[in-house]
Amino acid sequence: MNRRVYLDHNASTPVHPDVVNAMLPYFEERFGNPSSVHGFGREARDAVEGAREQIAGFLRARADEIVFTSGGTESDNFAVKGVALAAGTGHVITSQIEHHAVLRSCQHLETLGFDVTYVPVDRNGMVNPDDVRRAIRADTVLVSIMHANSEVGTIEPIREIGQVTRERAVTFHVDGVQTFGKVPIDLEAFGIDLLSFSSHKVYGPKGVAGLYIRKGTRMISVQHGGDHERRRRAGTENVPAIVGFGQAVEVRARDMQAEAIRVTALRDRLWDGIRAAVPDVSLNGHPTERLPGTCNLCFRHVESESIVLGLDLKGIGVSAGSACTSGSVEPSYVLVAMGVPLEWSMGAVRCSLGRSTTSEDIDYVIESVEPLVAKLRSLSPAAV
Amino acid sequence: MQYSAELIEHFRNPRNAGMMRDPDGVGESEYPDCMDLARVYLRVRAGQVVEARFQTYGCGPTIAASSAGTELATGRRLDELIELPLPRLVEAIGGLPDERRHAAEVVVAAIRAAARDALARLESRGEEGSCSTR
Repeated sequence: MNRRVYLDHNASTPVHPDVVNAMLPYFEERFGNPSSVHGFGREARDAVEGAREQIAGFLRARADEIVFTSGGTESDNFAVKGVALAAGTGHVITSQIEHHAVLRSCQHLETLGFDVTYVPVDRNGMVNPDDVRRAIRADTVLVSIMHANSEVGTIEPIREIGQVTRERAVTFHVDGVQTFGKVPIDLEAFGIDLLSFSSHKVYGPKGVAGLYIRKGTRMISVQHGGDHERRRRAGTENVPAIVGFGQAVEVRARDMQAEAIRVTALRDRLWDGIRAAVPDVSLNGHPTERLPGTCNLCFRHVESESIVLGLDLKGIGVSAGSACTSGSVEPSYVLVAMGVPLEWSMGAVRCSLGRSTTSEDIDYVIESVEPLVAKLRSLSPAAV
Repeated sequence: MQYSAELIEHFRNPRNAGMMRDPDGVGESEYPDCMDLARVYLRVRAGQVVEARFQTYGCGPTIAASSAGTELATGRRLDELIELPLPRLVEAIGGLPDERRHAAEVVVAAIRAAARDALARLESRGEEGSCSTR
């Protein structure tokens, strides 16, 4: 039986046992609708507000600045469309490597008559704050830049970009889905007006996320119905998931710093081991300003999906840098934006480490990658 | 990834991988959207393939299809291979998800091209139905 090694934590994470325990009572015992006025509803309401306080405390925000949503995608849609549509018309700035939730929201705004500037990134996947500054116009209503890219892990200069947006009085949205709970986020110092963040990236359950909305930010709702979330986002709250999210954040507050150090060391062990064993491999993303657990590699003369499949057969879960595994056969738009040549980007594989990753796991992955890549290269006409 | 047991087996243990010295026919095909490339080499006697080999750059299904394709080609006549039906290869690897159909397409195209190349070489040597001295 193969060892099972999960190296896809940027995609999702296992729910922490403390989180599961916190959630359980809210399925069968405390199942009320938080909007109900009776005791069953009040106890559910107390649980939702308790989680909100936990998360607000972690972000050093006000509780009424935290809105619960169904996922990071919804948070991004809400932020981008909510701010832009409140303005009615104008110009939006984002980057070429944002998550599709931001990119496609921006593309939708273009169909409604908005102008959108997609600022480029450099070879490391980093946005230049001066590009944002130069792009701002009199009618710019929103800047949306991710805190870190999920594929390559590059951490963007959010603090500097926030200074630009503050100087120019433009609303600043940050997609923090990949950084919340992994690296420190200082809403004030970074000048963030809206922050998307997600539960299932930090050992909480799927189906719940949040949007921080700085008090006074002008935006409209994009999901209409009841008066939930102070009339900002309609829909009965997913109480067990919200409780779990709150508990996950408590655990992260305790573990984040030490975990970042441990996982960074394992990430570097993985890269050092693979580059020592495998020729023609390169690391994507910034060498130092990168998420603690993200290691995106390009293997020349080998195709991503064949590596992912081969490792899967060894019990190792990673993801392809190209979109081939999702059905599309195109190279990763992130790597294309970074200027990674096609012959390399088609062989991109992302490893994202996490709480459960051990040094033995890393060694097993290194031992598995080397013969697999050698075998795949022996099949390839390009490598001859 | 929902792949058949046959596909997984061909991917784990690809048959007939590698170059062929002095082939009687060579064919190549590329799927431009993702750069999957299959190259097939044929050894032919009396118009029939006695050995087939492949070199492939591509995803797991393309590698598996290449392996299965060389097994399919071996023992068949060239005039049969120039019209090798796509479903036959898909069946040989136990089926393919729709988004991976290109894997079989690129390999079938390479086999057909190799067969055409072998026939062309035979014709240029004035040899009908016979060939390789090996």
